[in-house]
Amino acid sequence: MNDVVTFYNVTKTYKDQKAVNEVSFSIQSGEIVAILGPNGAGKSTTIMLMLGLLEPSLGLVQLFTHSPKEKLVRERIGAMLQEVSVIDRLKVKEILELFRSYYSNPLSLSELIKLSGMSTELLNQRAEKLSGGQKRMLNFALSLAGNPDLLFFDEPTVGMDIKARANFWNTIRILKDKGKTIIFTTHYLQEADDVAERILLLHDGKLVADGHPSEIKKKITKQSVSFLASTDLTLDQFRSLPHVEDVYLEEGRIYLITNDTDTVLFSLIKSNSSAEISEIQIKQGRLDEVFEQLTLSKEAQ
Amino acid sequence: MYAMWMQTKAETLKVLRNPYYVFWSLAMPILFYFLFTKIINTGVDDKQQWHKHYLMSMTIFSIMGSSIMTLGIRLVQERTEGWSRFMRITPLSEYSYFIAKMMAQTVIHILSIMVIFAAGIIINGVSLSFQEWLLSGLWILAGSLPFLALGTLIGTMKRVDTASGISNILYMALAIMGGMWMPIEILPRTMQAIAKWLPSYNLGNGAWEIISGRYPEWFNVLILSGYFFLFVILSKYVRKKQEAI
Ligand SMILES: Nc1ncnc2c1ncn2[C@@H]1O[C@H](COP(=O)(O)OP(=O)(O)OP(=O)(O)O)[C@@H](O)[C@H]1O
Ligand SMILES: [Mg+2]
Repeated sequence: MNDVVTFYNVTKTYKDQKAVNEVSFSIQSGEIVAILGPNGAGKSTTIMLMLGLLEPSLGLVQLFTHSPKEKLVRERIGAMLQEVSVIDRLKVKEILELFRSYYSNPLSLSELIKLSGMSTELLNQRAEKLSGGQKRMLNFALSLAGNPDLLFFDEPTVGMDIKARANFWNTIRILKDKGKTIIFTTHYLQEADDVAERILLLHDGKLVADGHPSEIKKKITKQSVSFLASTDLTLDQFRSLPHVEDVYLEEGRIYLITNDTDTVLFSLIKSNSSAEISEIQIKQGRLDEVFEQLTLSKEAQ
Repeated sequence: MYAMWMQTKAETLKVLRNPYYVFWSLAMPILFYFLFTKIINTGVDDKQQWHKHYLMSMTIFSIMGSSIMTLGIRLVQERTEGWSRFMRITPLSEYSYFIAKMMAQTVIHILSIMVIFAAGIIINGVSLSFQEWLLSGLWILAGSLPFLALGTLIGTMKRVDTASGISNILYMALAIMGGMWMPIEILPRTMQAIAKWLPSYNLGNGAWEIISGRYPEWFNVLILSGYFFLFVILSKYVRKKQEAI
């Protein structure tokens, strides 16, 4: 199969710091991928490397099996970078028309307006007079100008209001249905969880996890089985159950930490104390906990 | 090709809407022209010759401004704001982008030349033969090349503040030392000797020759081409070094 993105053993070194450290992955046509990680994890650097705006110190980066710098690749990609900047002294409409002229098969002006969620009143405004969120929307429209097959968004929804944000994700779904490949970074874990089918989790420049959101949660977050128990049960008697890693009491509930909640549940029910426990709950662990753990371990260093 | 045309149009619009351009390249030269030919008595004998001479000086002063200041500072801004970087992911090549910018500058220069020449006719009824108008206009247009190259060199600077500071100083120094404000004959001898080697004086001298019914000297052409190549090579070299990082 032809990869849309090839990222093979890539390292990017700034002076002595490795912003991206021996990262490998490949992305296939039609995938929606979220790149997740705490501040400074290397998300933007990864995006810039894919776009050919940065050269890898080691390794290979290709889009559509070509160098990202080739014109034929640029015809097929669109991107919104993390830093917002717009061309000044031009009207929104002039900028959109200018960008459309760069591509051989651009989207029509009306499609761009519809997809980006910009209101038509903005068309005759000077770009530098737009608000931060409106500038983002303009940049969103520009990324779509060439009707690209592959899209990159670096923290796209920062500064967008609720309506603009909803519109953005709605458009992403439309683009997904059209078979586009979409790669985005975000700090909003909910967004990654809701929209992406695959998460690349970066931490200190390393790829620490790569998979479906649910797999990632399973692999990294602690899952737990908790219940209310009559007072004559002691914590120690649960410690010996198979797959239980830790046991603690919090606000009257006993928590069993495990990475296999099913087995723990079965053995609980089969055990002779089953009559004395009630209100069993299973917690799968949320993505923001993954995130918190990573951030904490970083601060601890 | 269509992209290049659209880019040239956009770049031209951007300059026209730039208040710096309107102030430094149109308002100031015309104001100076008015002051030094109408208000302040410069004590020149041949009034008509002075009106023609100073019209050329002010047109060149204008062209220098838009080449060094407007273009140079603009290029730095586009880089510091990440705009040039963003352009690299579009199919428009850096080369086409640059050429479009230069074409836009040329359009702007033609406009400036026409506006200031018209101001000369309106303010002082300057009269030249058609050939002289055309030739001096073309000479100034072609002679703007070394200044555009200088603007590009300034455009490689890291910070907008430095670029605008340095381009301001260069602009003023080149204008005064090259005899744009006052003929260099009033300058001290050593300054006059230096002036002969400056691009501004050589561009001016060619135009002053034309309006006196002669042709620019070969020396003028030689010096201007020399500066053009020097600045092009320097800015290419600096850009190469910057990209290597
Ligand atoms: N131009 C640069 N020079 C030196 N170090 C850099 C440069 N750009 C980034 N870095 C470093 O590389 C690391 C990764 O940066 P990057 O911008 O990729 O992080 P990020 O994951 O996008 O963070 P954020 O969530 O804050 O956007 C950081 O530690 C940063 O300090
Ligand atoms: Mg970032």
